[in-house]
Amino acid sequence: MSINIGIGVSALKDHIEAAKDAVVQARVNLRSSKAGLAIVFSSPEFARPAILKTIRSLAGSAQIIGSSTLAVLSDKGIHKHAIAVLLLSFPDTVYYNSACVNNISLAQGGRAGEDLADKLLYGFKNIRRDLGIIFSDGLKVPGSDLINGLQEKLGRSFPLAGASASDNLAFKKTFQYYGEEVFSDSACGVIWGGKFNFALGIKHGWKPLGKPRVITRSSGNVVHEIDGEPAVKVYQEYFSFDLARLKKELRLISTLYPIGLRIPGEKEYLLRNLLAIEDDGSIICQGNVPAQSPIRLMIGTKESCLEATRLAALEAKRGMAGKNINFVLVFDSVSRYILLGRRAGEELAIIKEYFKDTPVLGLYTYGEQAPLQSANYYGKAYFHNQSVAILAAGGQM
Amino acid sequence: MIETGLLMIFLLVASFAAIIILSLVIVKKMDKITAVRAEGQKLKSSLDEMDEQAKLIVRTDMELNKTQEDLDKKITGLYSLQRLSRAISTTLEEGQIFQMIEAHYLEELGFEKACAFLWDEPGKHFELNMQTGYIREEAEGILSAINSQKDKFLNLIKDEKTLSSITRSPSEAAFKEKVPVIFKAASFVLSPVLPKEGEKGLLFVGTDNGETVLNEGDEELVTILANQLGQALENARLFDKTWRSQQGLEQKVEERTRDLSRALAKLEAVSRRKSDFISSVSHELRTPLTSIKGYAAILLTGKLGDLPKDIRERLDKINRHSDELVHMVNDLLDIARIESGKVAMKKEPLNLKLIAEKISDLLSVQLKEKHIALIIDIADNAVSISADRSQFERVFINLLSNAIKFTPEKGKITVSSHKTGDGVQVDIADTGCGIPEAALLSIFEEFYRVDNAVNQEVKGTGLGLSLVKHIIEAHGGKIWVNSKIGSGSTFSFTIPNEA
Repeated sequence: MSINIGIGVSALKDHIEAAKDAVVQARVNLRSSKAGLAIVFSSPEFARPAILKTIRSLAGSAQIIGSSTLAVLSDKGIHKHAIAVLLLSFPDTVYYNSACVNNISLAQGGRAGEDLADKLLYGFKNIRRDLGIIFSDGLKVPGSDLINGLQEKLGRSFPLAGASASDNLAFKKTFQYYGEEVFSDSACGVIWGGKFNFALGIKHGWKPLGKPRVITRSSGNVVHEIDGEPAVKVYQEYFSFDLARLKKELRLISTLYPIGLRIPGEKEYLLRNLLAIEDDGSIICQGNVPAQSPIRLMIGTKESCLEATRLAALEAKRGMAGKNINFVLVFDSVSRYILLGRRAGEELAIIKEYFKDTPVLGLYTYGEQAPLQSANYYGKAYFHNQSVAILAAGGQM
Repeated sequence: MIETGLLMIFLLVASFAAIIILSLVIVKKMDKITAVRAEGQKLKSSLDEMDEQAKLIVRTDMELNKTQEDLDKKITGLYSLQRLSRAISTTLEEGQIFQMIEAHYLEELGFEKACAFLWDEPGKHFELNMQTGYIREEAEGILSAINSQKDKFLNLIKDEKTLSSITRSPSEAAFKEKVPVIFKAASFVLSPVLPKEGEKGLLFVGTDNGETVLNEGDEELVTILANQLGQALENARLFDKTWRSQQGLEQKVEERTRDLSRALAKLEAVSRRKSDFISSVSHELRTPLTSIKGYAAILLTGKLGDLPKDIRERLDKINRHSDELVHMVNDLLDIARIESGKVAMKKEPLNLKLIAEKISDLLSVQLKEKHIALIIDIADNAVSISADRSQFERVFINLLSNAIKFTPEKGKITVSSHKTGDGVQVDIADTGCGIPEAALLSIFEEFYRVDNAVNQEVKGTGLGLSLVKHIIEAHGGKIWVNSKIGSGSTFSFTIPNEA
């Protein structure tokens, strides 16, 4: 049975009107089906309970989850200052449950992940669960910690795809939506089970450069030393910049030349953006950096980035192997948006090339959660930076 | 003992051999280790070299990317400036112009905050016209801060100067430090908006993103935007002025049209009254006239006895003048009837040439008396017109009689016709004395007679041409005259096909 879906995107100036407009568009596409789940992505300025109340009033009893984003990706293009609503109507053979946990920074990421998993599993006792999607506040809790907590309860190889919500590149406050409420410092998500197919493709397109090095001292998402010397020295040597210049150029350096972590048993490098440089030469990363990890400096170009999108789309499509695809969700790193600049639309065009008329909806993230090797998506999920994760899903016929 | 000694020797030799072999193995191993070490060293050197090359690649790549980013930023900026300019130019409403600066345009230009102020000269203060990226309270705070040190801001307008985070003028240094505090922005551009007339103002754009580094290009883009806003304000004001003046004009035209309509209605009423008056007076006149003429005619027959010569002469005069008076009253009655629409034109197909010839026969005596040559230049196959026969004959009689009257002896009168786009035009040209230019417009008015020698000698009612005009117009045609003193006159009229 197919999953009926409807997508609406609106950039009307009046936010309430925009929300109404988006839901009405989505409902038209959904036809007469009753929406069971609504996924909402919006620019931060839409993050108000009144918006979600409007959606709820028009979308009936649908469970609502979502997050803020720098821009919305959809079949209609990439829109900043917009709201997108995806309404999903599932057949009885597909099970799903959504949940939310708040104050995740107080509970620590791991504990918050476990709490969220417990809530998501409610009602899934004798049902096989297939996939989980999580939206979280990556500015408050490292995405890696949250994943670890979720995996404690959901299982190490349980496929998870997720996004750390983004704002308008201010890196100040992100929002998560659950029901009629808007939260920060939260994580919300949904898990599916039953006759539900999905496939995931995730790639970044960055290549290793220079000689291999080892993180000799780290804690959480802070790299203190590399090869026994202050971590920042590597970047100083590569760019020949002093500390002040390095700090000034950090955004560009972090986007173009992140750290690549070599994960034992995995082919792909896991990328880590640089969030800040401390005066003692430590580097704060977006995501955990275990000590003794072999690392490389990574380099990417617009072309390699777009090629990676192509590969991710191809993997997701191949993963479905001719099965019914009802919708495609895209979790795309804001770094890619920055790197691609005026060519950001090409990434969406590539995805559309592979999925043709299948409705596509996506958001820009401050971090993506997914297994490293997408072909084997039942592998351990990691917290990624700079990647594009493409999730193709559909009901079993 | 010997065996023991031999064994000892053998052991000694074997040990020695073993030591030698071991030494050889060790030496070989040492060589291998040395070689591996050398290889390792070589590999390390290669790696270091590769790393050095990687550094060069990274630095070059970084430079290239920065250049690309700058270029992208400029292209995006220009592109959004172009779209913004187009949006601004779509409105001619002053209040709408600044509202066109939407958040997404600003973002593409690399800013997220903007506000615009116009200087209110009578009130001597700045007024906020637009804000983006600020909440209302913030914008009001900024406005009050600007008004509390308005001179500095007014100087920018007066000097037509743009101030920005990268302005290097020492005289502006202190003010440059204040602006980011007032507007709560890390980097900014503040540019004057200068329409040629009316209120001038300032456009502020800024960002609180500490990483943004402004350059001359950014400053120039914002200055261009401010100039375009000034131009747009000017256009809007000009349009408003033109629109208002047009509105005033339209109102005046409307008022005048109303006045004229009222005047026309009055005139029509007067004209109707005049026609009614003439009609009733003429009717009243005709009865006694008929009696006067009847009695005069009876007396002249001599049935009531012979009349003395002087009485007969006077009776002749009475009879003749009565005829003239009857003629005049009839003309007046006809004009009044035609004017009031009481006379229906009984249209029938008429042959122009035949009518012209018939009238020339009627007037042959007068023509002969003055030896005037009448030329009828109308083709036999000229299209027949549709008109009231008797009325049309009156047109010809009147026009030809007039021509004969004003044409001197041995003169020439030509009647010609030709087809026009929608009918037929008839021209009656004479070689008479001509009509003064001043009289040309009045000649078709009732009782108007040109002041010339002929009119002084020959009596006339001044109703003939007026009657002709009424008949022609009743047929849907037009009549006019071309004349020059000494060169004769040409009376022309048209009769439309569908008349």
